[in-house]
Amino acid sequence: MIELSIDDRPVRVPEGTTLIDAAQRAGVQIPVLCHDPRLRPVGVCRLCVVDVGERVLAAACVRVCEPGMQVRTSTPEIESHRSTLVDLLMSDQDDPEHDARETTLGDNALLALSRQYERSGEDLPAASPRPADTSSPVIAVDHGACILCDRCIRACDEVQGNDVIGRTGKGHAARIAFDLDQPMGESTCVSCGECAAVCPTGALVDKPVSAPLRPVEQLEHVDSVCPYCGVGCAIRYHVDRAANEIVHAEGRESPGSQERLCVKGRYGWDYAQHPQRLTRPLIRRDGAYPKAALSRDVQGHHDGRRRPGGLVDYDEVMPAFREASWEEALDLVARRLSAIRDTHGSDALAGFGSAKCSNEEAYLFQKLVRAGFGTNNVDHCTRLCHASSVAALLEGIGSAAVTTTYGDVANAEAILVAGSNAAANHPVAASFFKQAHRAGATLIVADPRRGDLANHADHYCRLKPGTDVAFYNSLMQVIIEEDLVDHDYVARHTENYEALRETVARYTPEMAAKICGIEADEIRAVALAFGRAKSAIIFWGMGISQHVYGTNNARSLIALALLTGNIGKPGAGLHPLRGQNNVQGASDSGLIPMVYPDYQSVADPAVREKFERAWGRSLSPDPGLTVVEITAAAHEGRVKGMYIMGENPFLSDPNVNKVRRALANLDFLVVQDIFLTETAEFADVILPASAYVEKLGTYTNTDRRVQVGRPVLRMPGEARPDWEILCDVSTRIGYPMKYTSPEEIFAEFASLTDAYRTFTYANLGDTGRLWPNPDPEHDDGPVVLFSDGFPTPSGRATFVPVDWTAARELPDDDYPIVLNTGRLLEHWHTGSMTRRTRALDALEPEAFVSIHPDDAAELGIAEGDFVRISSRRGRVELRARISQRESRGAVFMPFHFREAAANLLTLDELDPDGKIPEFKFCAVKVEAVSGG
Amino acid sequence: MPLHRLESLSTYYTHFRRRPPAGRRLAVCRDLSCHLAGAEAACERLRAALAERDEAVEIERVSCLGRCEQAPAAALGEQIVRSDRIEDVVRVLDGQSEPVDDRPAADWGEAKLYAGRGQHFSTLRAALDADPAELARVLEEAALRGMGGAAFATGRKWSLVAAEPANPKFVICNADESEPGTFKDREILRDLPHLVLEGMALAGWAIGAERGIVFIRHEYAPERRALERAIADARVDAALGQDVFGRGFHFDVEVFVSPGGYILGEETALLECLEDRRGEPRNKPPFPGTVGLFGQPTLINNVETFVHATGILARGAPWWRGLGEPGHAGHKFISVSGDVERPGVYLVPFGTSIGGLLERCGGMRAGRRLGAIAPGGASSNFLPPDRLDVALDFETLQQAGSMLGSGAVIFLADDHDLLEVGLNVARFFRNESCGKCVPCRVGSEKAVKLVEQAGVLSGKTLARVSELHATLARTSICGLGQVALAPLLSLAEHYPDLMRGE
Repeated sequence: MIELSIDDRPVRVPEGTTLIDAAQRAGVQIPVLCHDPRLRPVGVCRLCVVDVGERVLAAACVRVCEPGMQVRTSTPEIESHRSTLVDLLMSDQDDPEHDARETTLGDNALLALSRQYERSGEDLPAASPRPADTSSPVIAVDHGACILCDRCIRACDEVQGNDVIGRTGKGHAARIAFDLDQPMGESTCVSCGECAAVCPTGALVDKPVSAPLRPVEQLEHVDSVCPYCGVGCAIRYHVDRAANEIVHAEGRESPGSQERLCVKGRYGWDYAQHPQRLTRPLIRRDGAYPKAALSRDVQGHHDGRRRPGGLVDYDEVMPAFREASWEEALDLVARRLSAIRDTHGSDALAGFGSAKCSNEEAYLFQKLVRAGFGTNNVDHCTRLCHASSVAALLEGIGSAAVTTTYGDVANAEAILVAGSNAAANHPVAASFFKQAHRAGATLIVADPRRGDLANHADHYCRLKPGTDVAFYNSLMQVIIEEDLVDHDYVARHTENYEALRETVARYTPEMAAKICGIEADEIRAVALAFGRAKSAIIFWGMGISQHVYGTNNARSLIALALLTGNIGKPGAGLHPLRGQNNVQGASDSGLIPMVYPDYQSVADPAVREKFERAWGRSLSPDPGLTVVEITAAAHEGRVKGMYIMGENPFLSDPNVNKVRRALANLDFLVVQDIFLTETAEFADVILPASAYVEKLGTYTNTDRRVQVGRPVLRMPGEARPDWEILCDVSTRIGYPMKYTSPEEIFAEFASLTDAYRTFTYANLGDTGRLWPNPDPEHDDGPVVLFSDGFPTPSGRATFVPVDWTAARELPDDDYPIVLNTGRLLEHWHTGSMTRRTRALDALEPEAFVSIHPDDAAELGIAEGDFVRISSRRGRVELRARISQRESRGAVFMPFHFREAAANLLTLDELDPDGKIPEFKFCAVKVEAVSGG
Repeated sequence: MPLHRLESLSTYYTHFRRRPPAGRRLAVCRDLSCHLAGAEAACERLRAALAERDEAVEIERVSCLGRCEQAPAAALGEQIVRSDRIEDVVRVLDGQSEPVDDRPAADWGEAKLYAGRGQHFSTLRAALDADPAELARVLEEAALRGMGGAAFATGRKWSLVAAEPANPKFVICNADESEPGTFKDREILRDLPHLVLEGMALAGWAIGAERGIVFIRHEYAPERRALERAIADARVDAALGQDVFGRGFHFDVEVFVSPGGYILGEETALLECLEDRRGEPRNKPPFPGTVGLFGQPTLINNVETFVHATGILARGAPWWRGLGEPGHAGHKFISVSGDVERPGVYLVPFGTSIGGLLERCGGMRAGRRLGAIAPGGASSNFLPPDRLDVALDFETLQQAGSMLGSGAVIFLADDHDLLEVGLNVARFFRNESCGKCVPCRVGSEKAVKLVEQAGVLSGKTLARVSELHATLARTSICGLGQVALAPLLSLAEHYPDLMRGE
């Protein structure tokens, strides 16, 4: 500890404390513009200068406390300099009534100082005018208001790691610049908004999303969680209650996301108030039978051209439905579902829940299907994302959740990001990866597509599509060969090592190089970097899991971690990055055909008895069908009635032409959603549900962090909370459900699990808790799991050696190119939310296929041309985007766009273990289309 | 590499360009010594004259070229010409250039130290047998001070860096002299490069460093070549490289060419530049001796400091003390420019009076009378002509209200528009401000504009500029901002009547 005095007050602070922090402890506020506690201090605005008795004054934000220092923070001299500095800065500012920040959020920190010091810079000569830049759809730039405090530069480059903003020029001509001084909207800016969030002046200010921005003091705020990806960023919504609209959103402090947000979280919440919201129950008119797709896109008469908004035209679909009362609609649903159950048996019914819904909704939904319908045919989109990872993890280490958090990357010496475009799909988690890399960790990115994270990597391995197992087996071969195996760990915590050793021995770097396309020396270098690291952490995404050999891919990653002793210690572990905000929680809640909540097997009689007691019904001992199996069963007529809550399989499932026939073939389909989705076009009844921002519930993020999402807005029209609708349906089909609140549902769910047992809404607090957590009143929960053994019968993890197998549908002369599908930073899944937000739609309005420049040149395709992509299952037309991200011979399509649905092309083959379909590899043909 | 880094570096360093120039580029200096020699008018005449040539010649006004004795100076590549001699410029443009590398060395008297190459590095050879700590002690005994301007005690600096536990350490020679009126390091590098290298190697031995870097301004190409020849010679002689003189001491020197900018002479800006960033000064402390290049302890000395350190370590502290005038110790290379008969670099005993120096360089040019003195380059406060008695030394000049700086004396005749002179200096600092901190970036620009718009420096304008100076002097991150407005205000102090009244 260091002792010093600040304005004659004695202060004791730890070594390394800056004067500004020490002053704050002593209750002394020092004015500052360039400093923000989250940013590396730079000491450029000089407003925080203090007198430490030296020749010049010291900037308190950068100066570190020294023993015996006598610090004066506010002498007349210092105040006079601060006053002069404010005057200097003000002389280049526009009038306050034209300032982009003061007139909106009202929190211009320079203007506040201007008022405090009564200096306006009016008698100093003004600088030559500097340009405004309105090119970004989400952020307004006014270089004239910029004081070069460099906050945005540090926020962009060091916090978010996006590396877009720098200084250009020198001296009084210096400005901030995006990339090579491009307009912001034409730069590589990813619109995360961190720059505008930290800017103290009117230089970088959010544009309004839906309502004019106002000072947050005039608004109420609600602390909630971002509705998009599994990172689960803590968010604060500023809301105008009277007008029932969100005005502004910002990141808030949390052990996970640390105030960061990405473009979706910060700007993508206005979908809830889109005019297309469903506000009354809808019943299909008699004239709209036999059932078929209603809109041209869903019928398949798509031309890829984007209509305004890119959305369904309600004039095309609404005539098929009539509005109904809740009574009529619920009665109809109950009558039809009960009739199917009673006539064809329980297994003729099935339900899709959603990983976008809360734990409470997921729990109730599976309870409805299991206890009310009497079948285990209940699944959700985890089947389409991490089912294979879950299968491999349960088999290998006895638990499917992450063994450590994304934030633990800060403790890693080596980081492997496998098959994940994290910068686009988990942007805030990726920001921590980039930060860890900047702090010295070795970053290895292995992916056929070169995502933005690859630009930061020490080793970027562009694997040939579908060759992961060969690559990872080879890494393990080198690690064993070089004796970088953690023998002690392997001996104490694993079994089946010999079998692994035998299998991977064949995968020499030379042999693997021929399969995966990475040079043998590079394979060796990566293996050494990983093997020698004292702690190594593995993140993976859909590039690993969404394959017919997805489980094998995950098995090899698990083996790699076990082999090097990288589970159960800080900075090490396995982290399959969960895609949906609540895919972890929906799985925890039992929205899986083979298990009840907390992964308790439906086939285990003791477990079943427990749930039968809890739910008061006898339950089916047969594991149910998975998502794609249900679709197939519907196609074949074995499943006749379906309840779909918040999912949109028409766009999200593979081989859409088959999905179309399956949905049309159902005797009865009820869809509960907030918009009339592509899937809902096939519905007999559509129930208007609540949007994320309208309801209370808990959500479990990729880290196992259980957080409370809170209602921000009132529901429109007659829309109802999902849990109430589920209760009403259940009661009407003869299985009464009665709860007074989501909290009561949570208590019931938690009581049936180990992982959630200790949690209550109260002890989850504002930033949630990690499960498992014996003491949530006092402890955030365990970051690292399995420090001492695994939840398997033997307490050990198992190596599951696997061989590489080729993809199911290889390119040939007819279909010579590999199609990969996935998401974009700006959009979410089937686009039903994101395409209805102003900002995200403005940023990425249109479907496209991304293609390597050489392939494009060969095919005579130029940027923006229309191209036709066909597979054995369908074809679409859409624009081409030429990009070095793709490898030669491979193209990429985002699957968000109904007018050019990527899943018309994909293959509905399944992984035998995880039952996940092949989204990442099918053979297609690419042709230029004339008259684009 | 992120695109913003390319943008920020390529627009920060004056020597970087994103596009080739339209034609050949004639760099014309407009700073203090050249300003006194009529650089602006010369430049206009040149522009008019060259406009008639078929070939496009890009005339670019640049900051001080370090050729103040040839004012008004211009450079076409490595060829230096006087911009007021159009026929010379045309001759050079036509390809009739002078060789720049084979000028004979001047006789630097006591500073020369050795008779021939055979003796080079003999001080280092002897020192390698001694306790490294002894070196700093001798320098402290001699009370040698840094010759780059800050005058920090050299022996103390060496012992502080020697005491740092972290490794590796670095020795850096700051050869980036760029202040108007300053060019003495240029002559030293050209004539005595081996003494610079020997001083660096001695420093390496003293502090425990194996790597030395000479950071040299890009305008000093012939000097860089002289230095590189000396490095090559030293390696041949086993005075640099692995296992120096077979004593198990490794030390080698590389040359880093500055991408341009006065601010890079500020030692932490220099470090930032070496680390491939914008050369913007760091907040201090920590000082480079503790946290320097790549975060490692780093000893940074001026070119001349290394030469004198070698001399002291060769001949002892008493020798050094005996070199000065009574009451002063040592000698100093002084750059002399302005309206004098024989501008150039002079080696003079510390304590020599300004008047004595003026005599040595032949007095004022014919027909000119002394009007003002800048005794320490453009950043020093001007002194009135009645201060010829002041002795050239750190304390004496400070007491007189100015400073010795790096030892650059500029004599001004009494027929200059002193407000223009003051503005010229202020504009130099405004132009060379890196822009990192608010007071310097904004304050220097506002002050220049205030005076330009008012056309006077008195009354309200004087009060405003004085207020700005007070803030710049106390809150700027580095010396540039701290002194930017001082010379201008010193003219207002000494010559209130010449500031054209309000």
